[in-house]
Amino acid sequence: MNRYSVLVLIGLLFWHSVSFGKDDELIVSTWGGTYEAAQNEAYFEPFMQTHDIQINLKSYNGGITPLQLSDNPGIATFDVIDLTESDALAACDNRLIAEFDRSILLPAPDGTSARNDFVGDSLFKCGIAHLSYATVLAYDDRAFPNEKPNSVADFFDIEKFPGKRAIQRTPKGILEWAMLSYNVPARQIYDLLSTERGFKLVTKRLNQIRDHIVWWESGQEPVELLRDGKVVMASGYNGRFFEARINQDIPITIINDGQFLELGVWAIHRQARRPDLAAKFIAFATSTERMAAFSNLLPYGPTRQSAYERIGLHASTNVSMREHLPVSEYTSYRRIRADSQWYSGTETIRNRWFDDWLNSASE
Amino acid sequence: MDDNERDSKYYGVVVTILLLAGLGCAIGVVVSILAIGFLEGISWMNAEFLISPHERIQLATSPLLLSLATVMVPAVGGLLVGFMVYYFVSVRRPLGPPDTILVVQTRGTPHPLGSGLMSTLAAMISLGCGASVGQYGPLVYLGTLVGSLANHLKLKIPNVQAICIASGVAAAIAVSFNAPIAGMVFAHEVILRHYAVKAFAPTTVAAAMGFIFANVIFDRPPLFLVVFEGVQYGYEFILFAIIGILGAFLAVGFSKGILACQKYANRSRIPVVFRPMFAGLVLGLIALQIPDILGIGQESLRFATIDGAFEISELTLIIIAKIAVTILCIGFGFAGGVFSPILLIGILFGALFGGILDELNLIGHSGVVPYAICGMMAATSPVIGAPLAMILIVFELTRNYDLTTAAMVAVVFSNLIASRIFGRSLFDVQLSARGFDLALGRINALISYDSITNVMQTEYARFRPADKIGKVSFQLAHIGRTAGVVVDKDGFAVGVVHIGDCAGPPPTTSLEAVMNRETIRFNENTNIGEALEAFRQSRYEVAPVVSSQTRQLLGVVFESDVINEYRNVTDRIRQEENEPV
Repeated sequence: MNRYSVLVLIGLLFWHSVSFGKDDELIVSTWGGTYEAAQNEAYFEPFMQTHDIQINLKSYNGGITPLQLSDNPGIATFDVIDLTESDALAACDNRLIAEFDRSILLPAPDGTSARNDFVGDSLFKCGIAHLSYATVLAYDDRAFPNEKPNSVADFFDIEKFPGKRAIQRTPKGILEWAMLSYNVPARQIYDLLSTERGFKLVTKRLNQIRDHIVWWESGQEPVELLRDGKVVMASGYNGRFFEARINQDIPITIINDGQFLELGVWAIHRQARRPDLAAKFIAFATSTERMAAFSNLLPYGPTRQSAYERIGLHASTNVSMREHLPVSEYTSYRRIRADSQWYSGTETIRNRWFDDWLNSASE
Repeated sequence: MDDNERDSKYYGVVVTILLLAGLGCAIGVVVSILAIGFLEGISWMNAEFLISPHERIQLATSPLLLSLATVMVPAVGGLLVGFMVYYFVSVRRPLGPPDTILVVQTRGTPHPLGSGLMSTLAAMISLGCGASVGQYGPLVYLGTLVGSLANHLKLKIPNVQAICIASGVAAAIAVSFNAPIAGMVFAHEVILRHYAVKAFAPTTVAAAMGFIFANVIFDRPPLFLVVFEGVQYGYEFILFAIIGILGAFLAVGFSKGILACQKYANRSRIPVVFRPMFAGLVLGLIALQIPDILGIGQESLRFATIDGAFEISELTLIIIAKIAVTILCIGFGFAGGVFSPILLIGILFGALFGGILDELNLIGHSGVVPYAICGMMAATSPVIGAPLAMILIVFELTRNYDLTTAAMVAVVFSNLIASRIFGRSLFDVQLSARGFDLALGRINALISYDSITNVMQTEYARFRPADKIGKVSFQLAHIGRTAGVVVDKDGFAVGVVHIGDCAGPPPTTSLEAVMNRETIRFNENTNIGEALEAFRQSRYEVAPVVSSQTRQLLGVVFESDVINEYRNVTDRIRQEENEPV
């Protein structure tokens, strides 16, 4: 299935590149890999079929640099982009993406207006959140035959759960988890992280696992590290861990406590060639039916209630998808909602602290 | 009682119940919305003016700007507050819980609505600009403002103003702490000072509305959340009691510090208008070194319950600095309460106790959490005089039985000690300085606050020293009095005469010879309580009231009027505390 999608994708890309410049053509910039394959199945293919419009894809790996405006309006290299929440805010502040017209959003099948159907924080000034994804802590089930890690605090507990931990080499997520391990309520985390004392406590917690960290940079690494038994626990994206478990049969178990949630946002470039088609596509892709179709492929949470209600089994393995979603009304686990404004404001200071800590570690 | 009469009585009761519950509900809704607006306004200002760490850290890369804001924001805020309070609040000082208590207890007229609103706005600016004052005092006054509006409805329910104010206060506390039971109890314990059924229903409804608004509709975060596994060793309760005792001294020191600083500020040469600015400037300068002291200190409050978040030396420094700047801010006229600062000081003090315990490592203990909470409650409850409400706040915030029991022990000991060496609360001591001393009991407080001029009469038997006593006794008998006042030609009261004084000597004797010059004399500042006591010692039923300034006779007071007034007060209190609905 996975491989098939990729092949289709490559085929499409090739074919579309031939027809580049065609009038009814939309360029969507999005993240690659499994994610893009699922988007293709849930969004791009059906859209092309029903609207007779070509979609070309442009690869994107985050940041707002690829969105920079050109001097000539109407020549952006893409029309629609799939941004992270913090990038969407930054891009909007820098007026790189267009203000979003909420009236294009379709109502739910039962007639509920889009405004009421979308969850509270998904309506952005310059975009619409279409999914929530989580960075989670997970462990290799084989490493702990007896008692299993169950909380964020367990991740930092070397005595109880010995072994290497894989952590993304960035001051993100790990800050929140360290704070959460002190039993700080999730909604107070950023207030406390804004103080020197907060960073002191984080440092203290990280020092406990200092010699047991393996750093990762690309999203697939934690899966591989766990698979190869090089680490016993790791942080990583919930979708990839799910894929590894379901499709590759790697015994990775996600710790439900402390999932770190962010939103994915559709936005239209301010200099898009075809803002009309872009709007049409976003309306289509954020419809209840399409959102649910996507969440039946990868366990990312839809941002509308009606789509959530339509999530059933995984498209090919009959796994119930709901319990794998990062946002589930059934879990009472602590979840951290990323504070994107705080993230963009603390970039320098976080990096400085992180570098200092890394350097002190190597001493 | 015939059927009709009974029917109409029941009808009246039902109407009253419905009216009171409806009022409670309406007040609860209005207060909740305003209180949430007040709190959100403060958060917004804290963010905009770089008071909250969440925003400060985002400017950490431009330290100069941050330092400038740290010093300037409280100072400019102070200037604004100084002007607002001086020019727009009738009494030229911020209004707070003591004013509420006074209005409710004396059934007095509240300060004008404009003054109340301006005082509340000044508190919002104070807190928004990071002044080290509390948000709950102003919220209590906000509840008072809304509650006192009920008086304009002209409902024929006795004591409706007090009940509505109490409802407003209950809602305010319920909203701000997410604690409806504590809100309801606070209104009774601090404001009403009795538990009559009639007030119970509306305050409870108002508190419940506050809770619904805070929790269900607006989903406001609780003040703090702690995880606590339970008290592990029995002997720790002795330690909680010790925290209680130490907390009492902390509370008394804090309260006395505020009173002393207020006195000092009044003597200082800094004009009233500029006093808050001065305090703000000092606060800002200290905050450059210790930012923890700015504003309410929500973050420090939370850190105090984390093991190892503070070093012992840091804790000591922050506690001292926070006490100092709070005393300064309140003493020098920032608008705001004492509740939030003492909560923070208390919890840090508790954490310090826990930290020292940890350092000594002599005995096992259950971590810093119960000590921090005990410290917080031990220090706070004597300051605001609400032991029951404090215990309930712990219970409702933590929903933890063990913690509540621990806090209860600390609160009891703390209140016991503090009430002995200081008084029931800072509010009560402040009121007693204004002549309303609740420590005497409600009745005595009221009669001591009731001026003699309320029962003074200007028509009375008035004689000259040269008058003959035959004529005097005739005139007294004629008007049915047993005593009169003797006044000289300049209008000064020179003595009193009793009808009995005139019985022995010949009727032609001049009054001068028999009158009593050593009579009790009152002035316009004498209160009913003092008059009652003075009459008890005297055989004269009348006493002259002379101006304390000019010594001129203003009028006289009859013993019977004083006794009647006393009866009125006791009747009113008895009625208020016992009436069913």
